Amino acid sequence: MDLRKTNWQTQEKMDMEMLMAEKSLRLRKKPSLKAQEQRDAYLLIAPLMILTFAFIFFPMVSNFIYGFTDWRGFGTLNWVGFDNFRTMVEDERFWQSIKNTLILLLFIPLGVFIPLCLAALLRGGLKGWKFFRAIIYLPHVLGYVILGMVFNLFLRSNGPLNTLLQMIGLQSWALDWLNRPLLALLSLGTIYGIFMRIGFGTIYFLAAMGGVDEQLYEAARVDGAGWWTRFWHITLPSIRFNIEFLVVMSVIENVARAFSFIYTFSRGGPGYSTHTLEYSLYTLGFTNGRIGYASAWSVVLFFICAIIAVMQIRLMRWNDG
Amino acid sequence: MDKNVKLITFLVLIIFAIGSIYPLFHVFITSFKTVSEYIENRVFLPTKWVLDNYKVAIGQGHLLYYFLNNAILIPAAMLFYLFVCLTAGFAFGRLRFRFRLPLFLLTLFLMIFPQMLLSLQIFRICNKLYLTDTYLGVILVWTAYFAPFGTYIMSTYFSSIPYEVIESARVDGASTWRILTQIATPMALPMMGFLIIIGFQSMWNELPFSLLLLQSMEKRTVTLGVAMMQGQYGIPDPTRSAAIMLASIIPVVIFLFFQKYIAKGTFAGSVKG
Repeated sequence: MDLRKTNWQTQEKMDMEMLMAEKSLRLRKKPSLKAQEQRDAYLLIAPLMILTFAFIFFPMVSNFIYGFTDWRGFGTLNWVGFDNFRTMVEDERFWQSIKNTLILLLFIPLGVFIPLCLAALLRGGLKGWKFFRAIIYLPHVLGYVILGMVFNLFLRSNGPLNTLLQMIGLQSWALDWLNRPLLALLSLGTIYGIFMRIGFGTIYFLAAMGGVDEQLYEAARVDGAGWWTRFWHITLPSIRFNIEFLVVMSVIENVARAFSFIYTFSRGGPGYSTHTLEYSLYTLGFTNGRIGYASAWSVVLFFICAIIAVMQIRLMRWNDG
Repeated sequence: MDKNVKLITFLVLIIFAIGSIYPLFHVFITSFKTVSEYIENRVFLPTKWVLDNYKVAIGQGHLLYYFLNNAILIPAAMLFYLFVCLTAGFAFGRLRFRFRLPLFLLTLFLMIFPQMLLSLQIFRICNKLYLTDTYLGVILVWTAYFAPFGTYIMSTYFSSIPYEVIESARVDGASTWRILTQIATPMALPMMGFLIIIGFQSMWNELPFSLLLLQSMEKRTVTLGVAMMQGQYGIPDPTRSAAIMLASIIPVVIFLFFQKYIAKGTFAGSVKG
Protein backbone atom coordinates (compact mmCIF):
# COMPACT_ATOMS: atom_id res chain seq x y z
CA MET A 1 0.00 0.00 0.00
CA ASP A 2 1.24 3.42 -0.77
CA LEU A 3 0.96 5.51 2.33
CA ARG A 4 2.19 8.60 0.58
CA LYS A 5 -1.18 8.87 -1.01
CA THR A 6 -2.93 10.11 2.05
CA ASN A 7 -6.13 11.93 2.21
CA TRP A 8 -5.30 15.46 1.32
CA GLN A 9 -3.76 14.52 -1.94
CA THR A 10 -6.12 11.74 -2.85
CA GLN A 11 -9.08 13.95 -2.30
CA GLU A 12 -8.25 16.10 -5.28
CA LYS A 13 -7.35 13.05 -7.30
CA MET A 14 -10.63 11.44 -6.36
CA ASP A 15 -12.53 14.45 -7.52
CA MET A 16 -10.71 14.34 -10.83
CA GLU A 17 -11.34 10.67 -11.27
CA MET A 18 -14.91 11.18 -10.31
CA LEU A 19 -15.31 13.72 -13.08
CA MET A 20 -13.73 11.42 -15.59
CA ALA A 21 -15.79 8.46 -14.44
CA GLU A 22 -18.92 10.50 -14.82
CA LYS A 23 -18.01 11.53 -18.29
CA SER A 24 -17.18 8.06 -19.44
CA LEU A 25 -20.32 6.58 -17.97
CA ARG A 26 -22.39 9.48 -19.24
CA LEU A 27 -23.98 9.61 -15.88
CA ARG A 28 -25.64 12.76 -14.79
CA LYS A 29 -25.08 12.91 -11.06
CA LYS A 30 -28.17 13.76 -9.16
CA PRO A 31 -27.58 16.53 -6.64
CA SER A 32 -29.23 14.40 -3.97
CA LEU A 33 -26.48 11.80 -4.31
CA LYS A 34 -23.90 14.23 -3.06
CA ALA A 35 -26.09 15.42 -0.24
CA GLN A 36 -26.70 11.79 0.68
CA GLU A 37 -22.97 11.11 0.78
CA GLN A 38 -22.45 14.08 3.03
CA ARG A 39 -25.20 12.98 5.39
CA ASP A 40 -23.74 9.47 5.55
CA ALA A 41 -20.32 10.86 6.26
CA TYR A 42 -21.51 12.92 9.21
CA LEU A 43 -23.31 9.89 10.55
CA LEU A 44 -20.18 7.77 10.25
CA ILE A 45 -17.89 10.23 11.99
CA ALA A 46 -20.47 10.90 14.72
CA PRO A 47 -19.24 8.19 17.15
CA LEU A 48 -15.66 9.47 16.98
CA MET A 49 -16.72 13.09 17.20
CA ILE A 50 -19.00 12.56 20.18
CA LEU A 51 -16.39 10.60 22.11
CA THR A 52 -13.49 12.92 21.39
CA PHE A 53 -15.64 15.92 22.15
CA ALA A 54 -16.78 14.55 25.49
CA PHE A 55 -13.52 13.05 26.70
CA ILE A 56 -10.77 15.04 25.02
CA PHE A 57 -11.97 18.37 23.69
CA PHE A 58 -14.29 19.27 26.54
CA PRO A 59 -11.81 18.33 29.31
CA MET A 60 -9.17 20.40 27.58
CA VAL A 61 -11.38 23.47 27.40
CA SER A 62 -12.48 22.93 31.00
CA ASN A 63 -8.86 23.10 32.11
CA PHE A 64 -8.77 26.69 30.93
CA ILE A 65 -11.83 27.58 32.98
CA TYR A 66 -10.82 25.68 36.11
CA GLY A 67 -7.39 27.29 35.99
CA PHE A 68 -9.09 30.46 37.23
CA THR A 69 -10.76 28.77 40.20
CA ASP A 70 -9.66 27.32 43.50
CA TRP A 71 -11.54 24.06 43.08
CA ARG A 72 -10.37 21.14 45.19
CA GLY A 73 -12.58 18.42 43.79
CA PHE A 74 -15.49 19.03 46.12
CA GLY A 75 -17.26 21.87 47.88
CA THR A 76 -17.68 25.32 46.46
CA LEU A 77 -15.88 26.70 43.51
CA ASN A 78 -14.51 30.24 43.75
CA TRP A 79 -13.34 32.44 40.94
CA VAL A 80 -9.83 33.59 41.78
CA GLY A 81 -8.76 35.36 38.60
CA PHE A 82 -5.09 35.03 37.78
CA ASP A 83 -4.08 33.98 41.31
CA ASN A 84 -3.19 30.43 40.26
CA PHE A 85 -0.97 31.68 37.49
CA ARG A 86 0.72 34.15 39.83
CA THR A 87 1.36 31.40 42.38
CA MET A 88 2.61 29.17 39.60
CA VAL A 89 5.36 31.46 38.32
CA GLU A 90 6.59 31.88 41.88
CA ASP A 91 6.41 28.15 42.55
CA GLU A 92 9.81 26.53 42.61
CA ARG A 93 8.26 23.19 41.70
CA PHE A 94 6.90 24.65 38.48
CA TRP A 95 10.31 25.76 37.29
CA GLN A 96 11.85 22.50 38.44
CA SER A 97 9.28 20.58 36.37
CA ILE A 98 9.98 22.72 33.33
CA LYS A 99 13.70 22.28 33.81
CA ASN A 100 13.35 18.50 34.18
CA THR A 101 11.23 18.30 31.04
CA LEU A 102 13.84 20.30 29.13
CA ILE A 103 16.72 18.20 30.44
CA LEU A 104 14.93 15.06 29.29
CA LEU A 105 14.71 16.58 25.81
CA LEU A 106 18.50 16.80 25.72
CA PHE A 107 18.64 13.03 25.51
CA ILE A 108 16.73 12.95 22.23
CA PRO A 109 19.68 13.60 19.86
CA LEU A 110 21.47 10.50 21.13
CA GLY A 111 18.21 8.56 21.17
CA VAL A 112 17.87 9.29 17.45
CA PHE A 113 21.51 9.16 16.44
CA ILE A 114 22.32 5.73 17.88
CA PRO A 115 19.47 3.95 16.05
CA LEU A 116 20.42 5.84 12.90
CA CYS A 117 23.99 4.54 13.04
CA LEU A 118 22.85 1.04 13.92
CA ALA A 119 20.42 0.98 11.03
CA ALA A 120 23.07 2.27 8.65
CA LEU A 121 25.43 -0.46 9.80
CA LEU A 122 22.73 -3.08 9.47
CA ARG A 123 21.63 -1.96 6.03
CA GLY A 124 24.00 -4.39 4.37
CA GLY A 125 22.28 -7.24 6.16
CA LEU A 126 23.55 -9.31 9.03
CA LYS A 127 23.23 -12.93 9.98
CA GLY A 128 20.89 -13.38 12.89
CA TRP A 129 19.33 -9.95 12.50
CA LYS A 130 15.82 -11.33 12.96
CA PHE A 131 16.82 -12.74 16.30
CA PHE A 132 18.36 -9.46 17.41
CA ARG A 133 15.35 -7.58 16.15
CA ALA A 134 13.04 -9.62 18.36
CA ILE A 135 15.25 -9.01 21.38
CA ILE A 136 15.79 -5.30 20.99
CA TYR A 137 12.11 -4.82 20.25
CA LEU A 138 11.00 -6.72 23.34
CA PRO A 139 11.09 -3.75 25.75
CA HIS A 140 8.67 -1.94 23.47
CA VAL A 141 6.13 -4.72 23.96
CA LEU A 142 6.12 -4.75 27.73
CA GLY A 143 4.87 -1.23 28.21
CA TYR A 144 6.14 1.58 30.36
CA VAL A 145 4.63 0.42 33.64
CA ILE A 146 6.41 -2.92 33.59
CA LEU A 147 9.64 -1.41 32.26
CA GLY A 148 9.61 1.20 35.00
CA MET A 149 9.38 -1.54 37.59
CA VAL A 150 12.07 -3.64 35.93
CA PHE A 151 14.56 -0.78 35.78
CA ASN A 152 13.67 0.39 39.25
CA LEU A 153 14.60 -3.04 40.52
CA PHE A 154 17.70 -3.08 38.36
CA LEU A 155 19.09 0.27 39.50
CA ARG A 156 18.41 0.07 43.24
CA SER A 157 21.42 0.86 45.36
CA ASN A 158 21.67 -2.82 46.31
CA GLY A 159 20.37 -4.03 42.97
CA PRO A 160 22.00 -6.23 40.36
CA LEU A 161 23.79 -3.45 38.48
CA ASN A 162 25.66 -2.27 41.53
CA THR A 163 26.30 -5.83 42.69
CA LEU A 164 27.84 -6.61 39.31
CA LEU A 165 29.93 -3.42 39.35
CA GLN A 166 31.26 -4.30 42.78
CA MET A 167 32.04 -7.83 41.70
CA ILE A 168 34.23 -6.68 38.84
CA GLY A 169 36.04 -4.22 41.08
CA LEU A 170 34.32 -0.98 40.11
CA GLN A 171 33.07 -0.09 43.58
CA SER A 172 33.34 3.62 42.90
CA TRP A 173 30.95 3.26 39.94
CA ALA A 174 28.26 1.66 42.05
CA LEU A 175 26.26 4.83 42.65
CA ASP A 176 22.89 5.33 44.23
CA TRP A 177 21.23 5.76 40.83
CA LEU A 178 17.72 6.47 42.02
CA ASN A 179 18.16 8.41 45.24
CA ARG A 180 20.38 11.32 44.32
CA PRO A 181 18.40 14.10 42.63
CA LEU A 182 20.48 14.85 39.55
CA LEU A 183 21.57 11.26 39.12
CA ALA A 184 17.97 10.05 39.23
CA LEU A 185 17.05 12.45 36.45
CA LEU A 186 20.02 11.36 34.36
CA SER A 187 19.14 7.71 34.91
CA LEU A 188 15.61 8.46 33.78
CA GLY A 189 16.86 10.27 30.69
CA THR A 190 19.35 7.56 29.77
CA ILE A 191 16.87 4.74 30.09
CA TYR A 192 13.69 6.42 28.92
CA GLY A 193 15.21 8.85 26.44
CA ILE A 194 17.93 6.75 24.87
CA PHE A 195 17.85 3.12 25.78
CA MET A 196 14.16 2.53 25.19
CA ARG A 197 14.20 4.35 21.85
CA ILE A 198 16.87 2.16 20.30
CA GLY A 199 14.80 -0.88 19.39
CA PHE A 200 12.00 0.97 17.67
CA GLY A 201 14.30 3.55 16.11
CA THR A 202 16.62 1.00 14.55
CA ILE A 203 13.79 -0.99 13.03
CA TYR A 204 12.06 2.16 11.84
CA PHE A 205 15.16 3.60 10.16
CA LEU A 206 16.04 0.26 8.65
CA ALA A 207 12.62 0.09 7.02
CA ALA A 208 13.08 3.64 5.75
CA MET A 209 16.53 2.94 4.35
CA GLY A 210 15.13 -0.05 2.50
CA GLY A 211 13.30 2.45 0.32
CA VAL A 212 16.43 4.32 -0.76
CA ASP A 213 17.43 3.71 -4.37
CA GLU A 214 20.28 1.20 -4.43
CA GLN A 215 21.65 2.73 -7.66
CA LEU A 216 22.63 5.85 -5.73
CA TYR A 217 24.94 3.75 -3.59
CA GLU A 218 26.31 1.95 -6.62
CA ALA A 219 27.12 5.21 -8.37
CA ALA A 220 28.80 6.58 -5.24
CA ARG A 221 30.84 3.42 -4.84
CA VAL A 222 32.03 3.67 -8.42
CA ASP A 223 33.11 7.23 -7.67
CA GLY A 224 35.12 5.89 -4.78
CA ALA A 225 33.01 7.29 -1.93
CA GLY A 226 33.72 5.64 1.41
CA TRP A 227 31.18 4.29 3.89
CA TRP A 228 31.01 7.52 5.83
CA THR A 229 30.58 9.68 2.73
CA ARG A 230 27.76 7.49 1.48
CA PHE A 231 26.07 7.64 4.88
CA TRP A 232 26.38 11.41 5.03
CA HIS A 233 25.49 12.28 1.43
CA ILE A 234 23.04 9.57 0.43
CA THR A 235 21.46 7.89 3.43
CA LEU A 236 20.86 10.95 5.58
CA PRO A 237 19.27 13.20 2.93
CA SER A 238 17.13 10.34 1.62
CA ILE A 239 15.50 9.62 4.95
CA ARG A 240 15.34 13.17 6.23
CA PHE A 241 11.61 12.90 6.71
CA ASN A 242 11.94 9.79 8.85
CA ILE A 243 14.58 11.41 11.03
CA GLU A 244 12.40 14.44 11.62
CA PHE A 245 9.45 12.19 12.29
CA LEU A 246 11.32 10.23 14.94
CA VAL A 247 12.56 13.43 16.58
CA VAL A 248 9.00 14.72 16.86
CA MET A 249 7.82 11.33 18.14
CA SER A 250 10.57 11.37 20.77
CA VAL A 251 9.58 14.86 21.87
CA ILE A 252 6.01 13.62 22.28
CA GLU A 253 7.13 10.59 24.25
CA ASN A 254 9.20 12.80 26.54
CA VAL A 255 6.73 15.60 27.09
CA ALA A 256 3.42 13.82 26.88
CA ARG A 257 3.81 10.08 27.45
CA ALA A 258 6.29 9.67 30.29
CA PHE A 259 3.84 9.48 33.19
CA SER A 260 3.47 5.68 33.32
CA PHE A 261 7.20 5.11 33.25
CA ILE A 262 8.02 7.71 35.89
CA TYR A 263 5.18 6.44 38.08
CA THR A 264 6.81 3.06 38.54
CA PHE A 265 10.45 4.00 37.91
CA SER A 266 10.99 6.78 40.40
CA ARG A 267 7.56 8.10 41.49
CA GLY A 268 8.84 11.53 40.56
CA GLY A 269 11.38 11.32 43.34
CA PRO A 270 13.57 11.82 45.17
CA GLY A 271 11.64 14.95 46.07
CA TYR A 272 10.68 16.72 42.86
CA SER A 273 13.79 15.70 40.98
CA THR A 274 12.11 13.52 38.34
CA HIS A 275 8.83 15.43 38.05
CA THR A 276 8.05 16.45 34.51
CA LEU A 277 5.22 18.91 33.89
CA GLU A 278 2.92 16.03 33.08
CA TYR A 279 3.83 14.16 36.25
CA SER A 280 3.36 17.25 38.38
CA LEU A 281 -0.27 17.47 37.27
CA TYR A 282 -0.82 14.13 38.94
CA THR A 283 0.91 15.11 42.17
CA LEU A 284 -0.84 18.46 42.38
CA GLY A 285 -4.27 17.40 41.24
CA PHE A 286 -4.65 13.99 42.79
CA THR A 287 -2.16 13.69 45.62
CA ASN A 288 -2.61 17.26 46.88
CA GLY A 289 -6.13 17.72 45.55
CA ARG A 290 -5.47 21.22 44.23
CA ILE A 291 -7.36 20.78 41.00
CA GLY A 292 -7.82 24.47 40.25
CA TYR A 293 -4.11 25.10 40.67
CA ALA A 294 -3.19 22.02 38.64
CA SER A 295 -5.49 23.25 35.85
CA ALA A 296 -3.40 26.41 35.61
CA TRP A 297 -0.33 24.21 35.10
CA SER A 298 -2.14 22.18 32.48
CA VAL A 299 -2.82 25.35 30.51
CA VAL A 300 0.95 25.72 30.14
CA LEU A 301 1.33 22.09 29.18
CA PHE A 302 -1.50 22.52 26.69
CA PHE A 303 0.35 25.23 24.81
CA ILE A 304 3.58 23.24 24.76
CA CYS A 305 1.76 20.20 23.38
CA ALA A 306 -0.16 22.33 20.89
CA ILE A 307 3.10 23.57 19.42
CA ILE A 308 4.39 20.01 19.12
CA ALA A 309 1.10 18.86 17.58
CA VAL A 310 1.25 21.57 14.94
CA MET A 311 4.82 20.57 14.16
CA GLN A 312 3.78 16.96 13.80
CA ILE A 313 0.80 17.67 11.57
CA ARG A 314 2.85 19.94 9.36
CA LEU A 315 5.42 17.21 9.03
CA MET A 316 2.79 14.67 8.08
CA ARG A 317 1.20 16.97 5.54
CA TRP A 318 4.54 18.04 4.14
CA ASN A 319 5.23 14.37 3.60
CA ASP A 320 2.06 14.10 1.58
CA GLY A 321 3.51 16.58 -0.85
CA MET B 1 36.88 -2.42 5.87
CA ASP B 2 33.55 -4.13 5.32
CA LYS B 3 34.58 -6.90 7.65
CA ASN B 4 35.40 -4.41 10.38
CA VAL B 5 32.03 -2.72 9.96
CA LYS B 6 30.31 -6.08 10.32
CA LEU B 7 32.28 -6.88 13.46
CA ILE B 8 31.49 -3.52 15.05
CA THR B 9 27.82 -3.89 14.18
CA PHE B 10 27.76 -7.30 15.70
CA LEU B 11 29.41 -6.16 18.92
CA VAL B 12 27.16 -3.13 19.29
CA LEU B 13 24.10 -5.27 18.69
CA ILE B 14 25.21 -7.80 21.25
CA ILE B 15 25.71 -5.06 23.82
CA PHE B 16 22.24 -3.67 23.21
CA ALA B 17 20.69 -7.11 23.16
CA ILE B 18 22.27 -7.90 26.53
CA GLY B 19 21.24 -4.49 27.80
CA SER B 20 17.61 -5.03 26.94
CA ILE B 21 17.39 -8.67 27.91
CA TYR B 22 19.47 -8.73 31.10
CA PRO B 23 17.20 -6.61 33.34
CA LEU B 24 14.30 -8.84 32.32
CA PHE B 25 16.37 -11.94 32.93
CA HIS B 26 17.18 -10.61 36.37
CA VAL B 27 13.49 -10.21 37.15
CA PHE B 28 12.89 -13.71 35.83
CA ILE B 29 15.45 -15.42 38.09
CA THR B 30 14.56 -13.25 41.07
CA SER B 31 10.95 -14.34 40.84
CA PHE B 32 12.04 -17.91 41.60
CA LYS B 33 14.23 -17.09 44.60
CA THR B 34 13.05 -17.21 48.18
CA VAL B 35 12.93 -13.84 49.89
CA SER B 36 15.80 -14.76 52.18
CA GLU B 37 17.96 -16.02 49.33
CA TYR B 38 17.55 -12.77 47.39
CA ILE B 39 19.12 -10.81 50.23
CA GLU B 40 22.40 -12.66 49.83
CA ASN B 41 22.25 -13.78 46.23
CA ARG B 42 21.36 -10.88 43.96
CA VAL B 43 22.70 -11.87 40.60
CA PHE B 44 23.26 -15.60 40.43
CA LEU B 45 20.72 -18.25 39.54
CA PRO B 46 18.59 -19.39 42.46
CA THR B 47 20.07 -22.35 44.33
CA LYS B 48 16.57 -23.65 44.80
CA TRP B 49 13.81 -22.67 42.35
CA VAL B 50 10.59 -22.00 44.23
CA LEU B 51 7.11 -20.98 43.15
CA ASP B 52 6.16 -19.31 46.43
CA ASN B 53 6.41 -15.80 45.00
CA TYR B 54 3.89 -16.61 42.31
CA LYS B 55 1.50 -18.02 44.88
CA VAL B 56 1.81 -14.89 46.98
CA ALA B 57 1.45 -12.59 43.98
CA ILE B 58 -1.69 -14.36 42.83
CA GLY B 59 -3.15 -14.81 46.32
CA GLN B 60 -2.38 -11.56 48.10
CA GLY B 61 -1.84 -9.50 44.98
CA HIS B 62 -5.31 -10.37 43.64
CA LEU B 63 -3.79 -10.90 40.22
CA LEU B 64 -6.54 -13.25 39.12
CA TYR B 65 -9.08 -10.47 39.66
CA TYR B 66 -7.02 -8.19 37.50
CA PHE B 67 -6.71 -10.72 34.70
CA LEU B 68 -10.45 -11.26 34.80
CA ASN B 69 -11.01 -7.51 34.56
CA ASN B 70 -8.73 -7.29 31.55
CA ALA B 71 -10.58 -10.18 29.96
CA ILE B 72 -13.82 -8.22 30.24
CA LEU B 73 -12.53 -4.72 29.61
CA ILE B 74 -10.21 -5.14 26.67
CA PRO B 75 -12.44 -7.15 24.30
CA ALA B 76 -15.37 -4.84 25.04
CA ALA B 77 -13.30 -1.72 24.51
CA MET B 78 -11.82 -3.30 21.39
CA LEU B 79 -15.25 -3.65 19.78
CA PHE B 80 -16.03 -0.01 20.44
CA TYR B 81 -12.60 0.99 19.22
CA LEU B 82 -12.81 -1.00 15.98
CA PHE B 83 -16.27 0.30 15.23
CA VAL B 84 -15.27 3.91 15.76
CA CYS B 85 -12.02 3.66 13.79
CA LEU B 86 -13.68 1.83 10.93
CA THR B 87 -16.61 4.19 10.48
CA ALA B 88 -14.69 7.41 10.97
CA GLY B 89 -11.69 6.12 9.02
CA PHE B 90 -13.91 5.24 6.08
CA ALA B 91 -15.64 8.60 6.11
CA PHE B 92 -12.39 10.57 6.31
CA GLY B 93 -10.59 8.41 3.78
CA ARG B 94 -13.32 7.87 1.24
CA LEU B 95 -16.25 10.24 1.44
CA ARG B 96 -16.53 13.89 0.50
CA PHE B 97 -18.18 16.24 2.92
CA ARG B 98 -17.89 19.76 4.18
CA PHE B 99 -15.37 20.43 6.95
CA ARG B 100 -13.74 17.10 6.20
CA LEU B 101 -10.19 18.49 6.35
CA PRO B 102 -10.66 20.71 9.41
CA LEU B 103 -12.32 17.89 11.32
CA PHE B 104 -9.61 15.46 10.30
CA LEU B 105 -6.88 17.87 11.36
CA LEU B 106 -8.65 18.42 14.66
CA THR B 107 -8.63 14.67 15.23
CA LEU B 108 -4.92 14.53 14.52
CA PHE B 109 -4.36 17.52 16.75
CA LEU B 110 -6.14 15.89 19.69
CA MET B 111 -4.02 12.77 19.38
CA ILE B 112 -1.02 14.22 21.12
CA PHE B 113 -2.26 15.53 24.44
CA PRO B 114 -1.00 13.62 27.47
CA GLN B 115 -3.45 11.55 29.43
CA MET B 116 -2.67 13.39 32.64
CA LEU B 117 -3.62 16.70 31.07
CA LEU B 118 -7.12 15.35 30.46
CA SER B 119 -7.47 13.13 33.49
CA LEU B 120 -8.32 15.78 36.05
CA GLN B 121 -11.33 16.86 34.03
CA ILE B 122 -12.21 13.39 32.75
CA PHE B 123 -12.47 12.31 36.36
CA ARG B 124 -14.86 15.16 37.06
CA ILE B 125 -16.97 14.44 33.98
CA CYS B 126 -17.14 10.73 34.69
CA ASN B 127 -18.14 11.50 38.25
CA LYS B 128 -21.05 13.56 36.97
CA LEU B 129 -22.11 10.78 34.61
CA TYR B 130 -21.74 8.10 37.30
CA LEU B 131 -18.99 6.48 35.24
CA THR B 132 -16.18 6.41 37.81
CA ASP B 133 -15.27 2.95 38.97
CA THR B 134 -17.27 1.35 36.17
CA TYR B 135 -16.07 -0.65 33.21
CA LEU B 136 -18.11 1.49 30.86
CA GLY B 137 -16.29 4.65 31.92
CA VAL B 138 -12.88 3.19 31.14
CA ILE B 139 -14.12 1.70 27.88
CA LEU B 140 -15.46 5.03 26.65
CA VAL B 141 -12.40 6.99 27.73
CA TRP B 142 -10.01 4.48 26.20
CA THR B 143 -11.93 4.50 22.94
CA ALA B 144 -11.99 8.29 22.86
CA TYR B 145 -8.28 8.54 23.54
CA PHE B 146 -6.98 5.78 21.28
CA ALA B 147 -9.43 6.03 18.37
CA PRO B 148 -7.95 9.16 16.72
CA PHE B 149 -4.75 7.32 15.88
CA GLY B 150 -6.66 4.26 14.68
CA THR B 151 -8.87 6.52 12.58
CA TYR B 152 -5.81 8.08 11.02
CA ILE B 153 -4.43 4.64 10.11
CA MET B 154 -7.74 3.42 8.69
CA SER B 155 -8.30 6.58 6.69
CA THR B 156 -4.88 6.34 5.03
CA TYR B 157 -5.69 2.74 4.23
CA PHE B 158 -9.14 3.40 2.83
CA SER B 159 -7.91 6.26 0.71
CA SER B 160 -5.40 3.90 -0.91
CA ILE B 161 -7.86 1.23 -2.09
CA PRO B 162 -8.68 1.42 -5.79
CA TYR B 163 -11.22 4.04 -6.56
CA GLU B 164 -13.12 2.00 -9.17
CA VAL B 165 -14.12 -0.71 -6.73
CA ILE B 166 -16.14 1.62 -4.59
CA GLU B 167 -17.45 3.86 -7.31
CA SER B 168 -18.84 1.00 -9.36
CA ALA B 169 -20.73 -0.21 -6.31
CA ARG B 170 -22.07 3.26 -5.82
CA VAL B 171 -23.21 3.46 -9.43
CA ASP B 172 -24.99 0.15 -8.89
CA GLY B 173 -26.94 1.91 -6.21
CA ALA B 174 -25.33 0.47 -3.09
CA SER B 175 -25.76 2.60 0.01
CA THR B 176 -22.77 3.97 1.90
CA TRP B 177 -23.43 1.58 4.74
CA ARG B 178 -23.50 -1.37 2.34
CA ILE B 179 -20.26 -0.25 0.72
CA LEU B 180 -18.64 0.06 4.12
CA THR B 181 -19.77 -3.29 5.49
CA GLN B 182 -19.66 -5.43 2.38
CA ILE B 183 -16.85 -3.99 0.28
CA ALA B 184 -14.55 -1.77 2.27
CA THR B 185 -14.41 -3.71 5.53
CA PRO B 186 -13.49 -7.06 3.97
CA MET B 187 -10.73 -5.30 2.05
CA ALA B 188 -9.47 -3.71 5.23
CA LEU B 189 -9.21 -6.95 7.19
CA PRO B 190 -5.40 -7.15 7.19
CA MET B 191 -5.22 -3.54 8.35
CA MET B 192 -7.66 -4.34 11.11
CA GLY B 193 -5.21 -6.98 12.28
CA PHE B 194 -2.69 -4.21 12.94
CA LEU B 195 -5.37 -2.09 14.48
CA ILE B 196 -6.30 -4.80 16.95
CA ILE B 197 -2.70 -5.30 17.98
CA ILE B 198 -2.00 -1.59 18.34
CA GLY B 199 -5.24 -1.17 20.28
CA PHE B 200 -4.49 -4.15 22.47
CA GLN B 201 -1.03 -2.89 23.32
CA SER B 202 -2.21 0.58 24.17
CA MET B 203 -5.10 -0.66 26.29
CA TRP B 204 -3.17 -3.37 28.08
CA ASN B 205 -0.41 -0.94 29.04
CA GLU B 206 -2.65 2.02 29.82
CA LEU B 207 -2.14 3.50 33.28
CA PRO B 208 -3.29 7.09 33.90
CA PHE B 209 -6.98 6.71 33.07
CA SER B 210 -7.45 3.40 34.83
CA LEU B 211 -5.49 4.71 37.82
CA LEU B 212 -7.95 7.54 38.27
CA LEU B 213 -11.19 5.92 37.18
CA LEU B 214 -10.95 2.46 38.69
CA GLN B 215 -10.84 3.16 42.39
CA SER B 216 -11.86 -0.14 43.92
CA MET B 217 -9.55 -3.12 43.99
CA GLU B 218 -12.07 -5.45 42.30
CA LYS B 219 -12.10 -3.32 39.16
CA ARG B 220 -8.38 -2.83 38.57
CA THR B 221 -6.60 -3.90 35.42
CA VAL B 222 -3.42 -5.98 35.44
CA THR B 223 -1.19 -3.04 34.62
CA LEU B 224 -2.85 -0.88 37.26
CA GLY B 225 -2.73 -3.60 39.90
CA VAL B 226 0.95 -4.26 39.33
CA ALA B 227 1.73 -0.53 39.26
CA MET B 228 -0.06 -0.09 42.60
CA MET B 229 2.04 -2.89 44.01
CA GLN B 230 5.10 -0.77 43.22
CA GLY B 231 3.86 1.93 45.56
CA GLN B 232 3.26 -0.36 48.51
CA TYR B 233 6.02 -0.79 51.01
CA GLY B 234 6.80 -4.15 52.50
CA ILE B 235 6.36 -6.19 49.35
CA PRO B 236 9.59 -8.16 48.91
CA ASP B 237 11.35 -7.84 45.56
CA PRO B 238 10.96 -11.52 44.59
CA THR B 239 7.18 -11.22 44.99
CA ARG B 240 7.18 -8.06 42.94
CA SER B 241 9.26 -9.83 40.30
CA ALA B 242 6.74 -12.65 40.14
CA ALA B 243 3.97 -10.11 39.58
CA ILE B 244 6.01 -8.48 36.80
CA MET B 245 6.50 -11.85 35.15
CA LEU B 246 2.81 -12.69 35.32
CA ALA B 247 1.80 -9.31 33.93
CA SER B 248 4.26 -9.68 31.04
CA ILE B 249 3.22 -13.13 29.88
CA ILE B 250 0.30 -12.13 27.69
CA PRO B 251 1.95 -9.17 25.92
CA VAL B 252 5.04 -11.29 25.25
CA VAL B 253 3.03 -14.23 23.90
CA ILE B 254 1.09 -11.89 21.63
CA PHE B 255 4.34 -10.34 20.48
CA LEU B 256 5.86 -13.72 19.63
CA PHE B 257 2.80 -14.83 17.67
CA PHE B 258 2.18 -11.61 15.81
CA GLN B 259 5.73 -10.30 15.44
CA LYS B 260 5.36 -9.67 11.73
CA TYR B 261 2.11 -7.79 12.20
CA ILE B 262 3.54 -5.69 14.98
CA ALA B 263 6.65 -4.72 13.07
CA LYS B 264 4.52 -3.74 10.11
CA GLY B 265 1.74 -2.14 12.12
CA THR B 266 4.13 -0.01 14.09
CA PHE B 267 5.11 1.80 10.94
CA ALA B 268 1.66 2.15 9.51
CA GLY B 269 0.98 5.80 9.14
CA SER B 270 4.53 6.80 9.83
CA VAL B 271 6.59 5.39 6.98
CA LYS B 272 7.06 7.25 3.80
CA GLY B 273 6.53 5.08 0.76
